[in-house]
Amino acid sequence: MRITAIFSTVFLIGLMVFSDALMAQDTKDTKDAQKIMKKSHLAYYYAADDGVAEVTMTITDKRGKERVKEFVMLRLDEEEGGPQKYYTYFRKPSDISRLTFMVYKTPDGNDQRWIYVPSIDLIKPISADDKNSSFVGSHFSYEDVSGRHWSEDTHTLLYDSTLNGSKVWVIESIPKEKYKGFARKLSYIDQENYLPLIEKYFDKKDKLVRQFKAEQIEEIDGVVTMTVRSMENIKKGGKTIIQFSDISYNVGLDESLFTERYLKNPPRKYIK
Amino acid sequence: MKRGLTDFSIHHPWLVIGIAVIITAFFATQFPNIKIDTDPEHMLSPDEPVLAFEHQTKIDFDLSDFIAVGIINEEGAFNPQTLNRVYNITAEIEEIEGVVVDDIMAPSTVDDIKQGDGGGLIIAPLMEDEIETQEQADYIFQRIKQNPVLRGKLASDDGKAMALFIPIESKDQSARIAGQIEHLTKEYGGDVKYHIAGLPVAEDSFGSQMFAQMAYAAPATFVVIFLLLFSFFRNFKIIVAPMVVAVMSVIWTMGLLIMTGNTVHIMSSMIPIFLIPIAVINSIYIISEFHGHFTKHQQKNAAIRHSISELFVPMLFVSLVAAVGFLALAITPIPPVQVFGVFIGFGTMVSWLLSITINPAFATLISTKTLHRFAESDESQGFLSRILHLIRDFSGKHRGGIIVGALVMVVISAVGLSLIVVNDNPVKWFKKSHPIRQADIAMNAHLAGTYMNYLVFEGIDDDDMKRPEVERYIEDIQKDLEEDITVGAAIGLPDIIKKVRYELFGADSSKMVLPTSQDEIAQMLFIFEMSGGDPDDLFKFVTPNYDKANVWVQLKNGDNRAVSHVVDRANDYMARHPLPMGIKAQWAGLPYINIVWQNLMVGGMREALLLAFLVVLIMMTSLFRSIKWGIISMLPLTITIMAIYAFIGFIGKPYDMPVAVLSTLTLGLSVDFAIQFIQRLRTAYRRTQDFQQALHDNFEGVGRAIMRNVLIISIGFVPMLFSSLVPYITVGAFFLAIELVSGLVTMFLLPAIARVFQKGLFPKPITKGEN
Repeated sequence: MRITAIFSTVFLIGLMVFSDALMAQDTKDTKDAQKIMKKSHLAYYYAADDGVAEVTMTITDKRGKERVKEFVMLRLDEEEGGPQKYYTYFRKPSDISRLTFMVYKTPDGNDQRWIYVPSIDLIKPISADDKNSSFVGSHFSYEDVSGRHWSEDTHTLLYDSTLNGSKVWVIESIPKEKYKGFARKLSYIDQENYLPLIEKYFDKKDKLVRQFKAEQIEEIDGVVTMTVRSMENIKKGGKTIIQFSDISYNVGLDESLFTERYLKNPPRKYIK
Repeated sequence: MKRGLTDFSIHHPWLVIGIAVIITAFFATQFPNIKIDTDPEHMLSPDEPVLAFEHQTKIDFDLSDFIAVGIINEEGAFNPQTLNRVYNITAEIEEIEGVVVDDIMAPSTVDDIKQGDGGGLIIAPLMEDEIETQEQADYIFQRIKQNPVLRGKLASDDGKAMALFIPIESKDQSARIAGQIEHLTKEYGGDVKYHIAGLPVAEDSFGSQMFAQMAYAAPATFVVIFLLLFSFFRNFKIIVAPMVVAVMSVIWTMGLLIMTGNTVHIMSSMIPIFLIPIAVINSIYIISEFHGHFTKHQQKNAAIRHSISELFVPMLFVSLVAAVGFLALAITPIPPVQVFGVFIGFGTMVSWLLSITINPAFATLISTKTLHRFAESDESQGFLSRILHLIRDFSGKHRGGIIVGALVMVVISAVGLSLIVVNDNPVKWFKKSHPIRQADIAMNAHLAGTYMNYLVFEGIDDDDMKRPEVERYIEDIQKDLEEDITVGAAIGLPDIIKKVRYELFGADSSKMVLPTSQDEIAQMLFIFEMSGGDPDDLFKFVTPNYDKANVWVQLKNGDNRAVSHVVDRANDYMARHPLPMGIKAQWAGLPYINIVWQNLMVGGMREALLLAFLVVLIMMTSLFRSIKWGIISMLPLTITIMAIYAFIGFIGKPYDMPVAVLSTLTLGLSVDFAIQFIQRLRTAYRRTQDFQQALHDNFEGVGRAIMRNVLIISIGFVPMLFSSLVPYITVGAFFLAIELVSGLVTMFLLPAIARVFQKGLFPKPITKGEN
């Protein structure tokens, strides 16, 4: 009796794995992982032409202690999938309020970054050598915030699946050149809106190091937007949640806002 | 009872031996469950506040214990070959299981804070890849020198030494990881000397070497004692019993210790070594007595009965006294010392029980023919007899001189005792020639130190550590601590803030000062985080909420005295300069923990010794039913303890953990001779009613046994003097000293006192003495 039960269980599992593999073979032929990742990148990082949002970042360290940073973020796309400009104005913690930060992102080169430090009333360039370093002390890296170009990795569509009722593609990305950020990444891309629902980052020993999650997705001004996202450090512990609110798209941000002048004097139109 | 046990052993020798063997086998089956624990943190009870704080500090700042790897070349270590070798060794160390990869400190893993293009700030790895030119090597060296966080730590100022700090997940892996690192360094070789140091390595290696030493010392001691026994008794069969008693006592005790779930700590690993002499001494009395009686009367069973009945009371008392000495250790606040005391106390009683059963049982089984040969060995003209007679004559002629001499010795000892220096350092448990000691010496001569203490500041609210007056206070106390010769470097959050500010303002040294506003402090730290600085690096010095800060106080010397001096210096500083409002300061780190348990131990040992002394005095008084005899019987042990510890004071040997624990062993062992001598002298006097005759008999009987014991135990432990572990050498030297001093004091002083105070001590019996 028992043996039969075990056998049938084993058989069922085997069948499931087998059919999964069959399906993977099938989809791999029809879909192009490269294309999916490009579309995903655009949907995630280049929504609309520009955008303004209030951001609340909650950093929980591994002891469970929380720190909150609040800032306003302005984004202007110069070209879909191409250069972008970011402007960030910090509100909290209070001892860094009025500090501003600006990035010129160039996908195929080094970004340029500047910071305005109110306590010494100075604008300083900031190194952009290491895109893997932490973004304002959170568990997100600069690259997690501004995006890693899809052409830097080789993508393979492993299989289709469902995640919380959404159909997803599971895509494996492996850096073309030796890379500090990860050795392998698994992305679960929503088949409807192309947003990454989960990203798993593995190190060279193939241990899961970090995990990204889309916590909440809403439609704002007709744009499907991830309003809450999280990054968890699986290896060392700790988690950061980034929450976007007061989002507006296509507000007509002017290029001139992204200059040194506005670093010292934030544009009151968008930053109250 | 005494008759019963002996008779039972004589009538059923095989049954007695069989039962003992079965019990021994039972305890032996426990040995595979042995758990070794050499973590000195466990010298403290788990609820000791300092341990809770240590654990909290490690969590708060994500700290690990570490292994320090030194790379030294007297011609200069900063060249492309050496740096590339270190680069590759570091990469391979990252692959070792149990290494906290993210926190490794090496040229290729640490970040440098420097100026970027356009006057900005870059925080980037110091050595990103292998290098080619000497210029690149020089640049790396210069950057280390200019970084307060790295200076002295990663490289010596003369450029001859480099160090890597390898954090490990747990201390009990450090010997293994150190071994793997050593293997790597051998593989890469080069014209440099590699050293591996750090407290965790010393402590963990001690655990493994301890057993290697035991495997050598215990059999060697056994063989020497066996040979000495043979030279005295000339009969293999008769001297097997003492060895069996010793082995069984050790197995029962260690078996029970393991069975009850106790770990074998540095202390308890010495139980076998301590038990062997205790077990052997009892048997030697029995065999000596048996030999004397059998030689005269040629009656085996009568000789056995006579020996046991003669020795039962003194042996029971000797064992009880020794056991009390050990049990007194249970009042010390150090759990491994408590375990040691309780179990060796148990072992002492086991060895007594086995002595009075196994010895008779073995003697019964020996054929009379063999015994006749045994009895033939003539004792009256031997070397031992000559010495005995010499002592007897001397103590008779110079009784006054001996007493005066003893008094002088006590006075001189008191001076020596006052010179005792309390000090300990687990690294120094290894001989100076040992690689661990060599590494310690070489690295601490060049670099900022291989010992790490932490001075933790704790505020009330979040962000308290950003307050300018708090940062300035930390900066000032760091400066003060760095003036201490033991402190190689004291590094904290102020150094990072100042370094960021300095580089941000274009390496302007006038900007290498702390900001005066909290906002600026916060913004400098924010720039650090924004410029590629790893927040985890920052959080080694401050909590993410900025409610606690941590100063890394790197020490060149792990001696408890040196560490205490640093702690006292900080306390003194804080007394003179009150801490800012709401801020508390507290120490953490392995060197600090070592001084905490040392202080507890020194105090605890003093109390244990005093308690044992009092209890023994009461026991002696009741044994001899005389306060006078009670006090006299305490003289040999008192003088022995004083003389040995005075000697330690005079030669400047530090009073460390092994020395402290040996005080109770000294008490237990050195009271032995006095009990035997006095008890037997009084018995002889009661029998003969003739003081001179009694004294004469006593020298011939128990005096001979005492001399045998002195020789067997003091010589028997000579093999331990050749150990590579200092505590083992200390134990060997103690056995030698205890036996010699207490033996000689007993043999010279007690007869002298007995003679001088003969009237008071040996009253003429009223009934028989009249007329």
